[in-house]
Amino acid sequence: MAHAATLDIRNLGKHYPVSGEPKPVLENISLSIKPGEFVSIVGASGCGKSTLLRLIIGLEQDYQGEIALDGQRITGTSLNRGIVFQEHRLFPWLTVEQNVGLGLLNSEQTPAQRQKAIQEHIDLVGLKGFEGAYPYQLSGGMSQRVAIARALVNRPEVLLLDEPFGALDALTRNYLQQELQRIWEQEGITMILVTHDVEEAVYLGDRIVVMQPRPGRIKRIVDVPLARPRDRGSYDFAAIKEDVLQEFGDGKLVADLALRRPDPLTAGEWHFAW
Amino acid sequence: MLTQQPLLPLPTAPEPVAVRPARHWRLPRLPAAGRALIALMFPLALLGAWALATRYEWIAPQILPSPTTVLSALTELAQTGDLARNALVSFWRVVWGFGLGAALGLLLGVGFGLSSLLRDYVYPLFRAVAQVPVLGWLPFLILLLGMEEALKVVLVAKAVLVPVAINTDQGIRSVPPQYLEVARVYGFGRWQQLTRVILPAALPGIWNGIRYGLTNAWLALVAVELLASSEGLGFLIVYGRQLFQLDVVLAAVVIIGGVGFVLDKLLSVIEKRLLRWRREAF
Repeated sequence: MAHAATLDIRNLGKHYPVSGEPKPVLENISLSIKPGEFVSIVGASGCGKSTLLRLIIGLEQDYQGEIALDGQRITGTSLNRGIVFQEHRLFPWLTVEQNVGLGLLNSEQTPAQRQKAIQEHIDLVGLKGFEGAYPYQLSGGMSQRVAIARALVNRPEVLLLDEPFGALDALTRNYLQQELQRIWEQEGITMILVTHDVEEAVYLGDRIVVMQPRPGRIKRIVDVPLARPRDRGSYDFAAIKEDVLQEFGDGKLVADLALRRPDPLTAGEWHFAW
Repeated sequence: MLTQQPLLPLPTAPEPVAVRPARHWRLPRLPAAGRALIALMFPLALLGAWALATRYEWIAPQILPSPTTVLSALTELAQTGDLARNALVSFWRVVWGFGLGAALGLLLGVGFGLSSLLRDYVYPLFRAVAQVPVLGWLPFLILLLGMEEALKVVLVAKAVLVPVAINTDQGIRSVPPQYLEVARVYGFGRWQQLTRVILPAALPGIWNGIRYGLTNAWLALVAVELLASSEGLGFLIVYGRQLFQLDVVLAAVVIIGGVGFVLDKLLSVIEKRLLRWRREAF
């Protein structure tokens, strides 16, 4: 089992220059995540939750405050943190097996160990038999499972998930949520999930971090003391879901939920990732 | 406390969707002879029209010799060895010119694609030079390089370099930045980024450039041989025209067209293999 790390975020702030003026995106974020914990982050668009993930993975830098993994300040990407993006981002010119192998390209394993790890993780996400398939031959849900295998194959201490199931249909989404929970229990690593979907957040999280926008701040942290596997139809589940939804008060998130559909990224604007 | 059973069973694992196996050929829908007939429909119609036009002398036979005359000219050229000799000369000129031009074009294109400095300082000049047709350089290059092989190779290389460089540059600049983020997450070094992300992602564009380049190479070669050569397929045309042997001219034209067709076919076979990960829209 991989070592799971403690993630400490203290007084984190982040600004982007907007027409010459520094515009705050994140302000005064403090959060401590225990090893092996599953934390869901929810919030309306523009609350900076994707930026927060990009800071933790190390794709964004120049922040104020502190992000530390086991006491080590984060200053860039590292193989001890993995990420699953909203779009699967598989390389279309590589097969499933080769895509998963990308995660091990710079690891210090022997080829035999790599091959074994790749096969184990393809099996883990239930894609045995699809090793030689190209991404265009896979469905959206299968592609996202390959992306999860790629992120896990080098046994990161923390796995970040940026709305990984946002673009999938409801049935596939439910199924992959169960699968993710199974993988999390099996691997015992720390997971941080950013989502628009409050039900997903309650179903998966030990805690739910509710964020509010302009600038992005933590509004409240809600504990989810329910035993797993969770029953989406239970009273307790509904109560927590309702509690989280209440945090959006003016119904802003509810409107956002109805409208949510991620814009395709373009080269010019990807760094405005809130 | 009230716990409610779900009314509907939870969704179970969707069956993995059967994917189309990666197959690179299509099932024949017609017997081979039928398909060959369809493929040859237009070439045969053209040949028929040509035969009729000469048979009824719609065009003077001195200008348009009959297909049989051209065929006998071809056999004669083949028997004397003139055809093989000239075709071989042209072939090697294309090989050298194409190799040189493609290699330089790739380097230049990768440079333009990756370095904004090179793009800012060199690209405008490159575009200006590229605007001048191959034959525009001919008088200058004859004085500089003489009439020998170097002249042909350089001109063919120029004809290849331009499309390869432009398409490589375009291909690299349209690599999705998301792929490069994936590379950063997995700690790819610069060389790994280039060879494992940028070049494969740009390959469809680069390959377009190479195909254009090869077509251009062949066209440029024949043009140069028409104007400044004493051997080669282009020269064969000039030779035939000077002796008013239009059958020799047309024989050379047929060979040039045939070789060009084969070259393009060859590249498309390589492409099928190289870009097999691409879903074909049609």
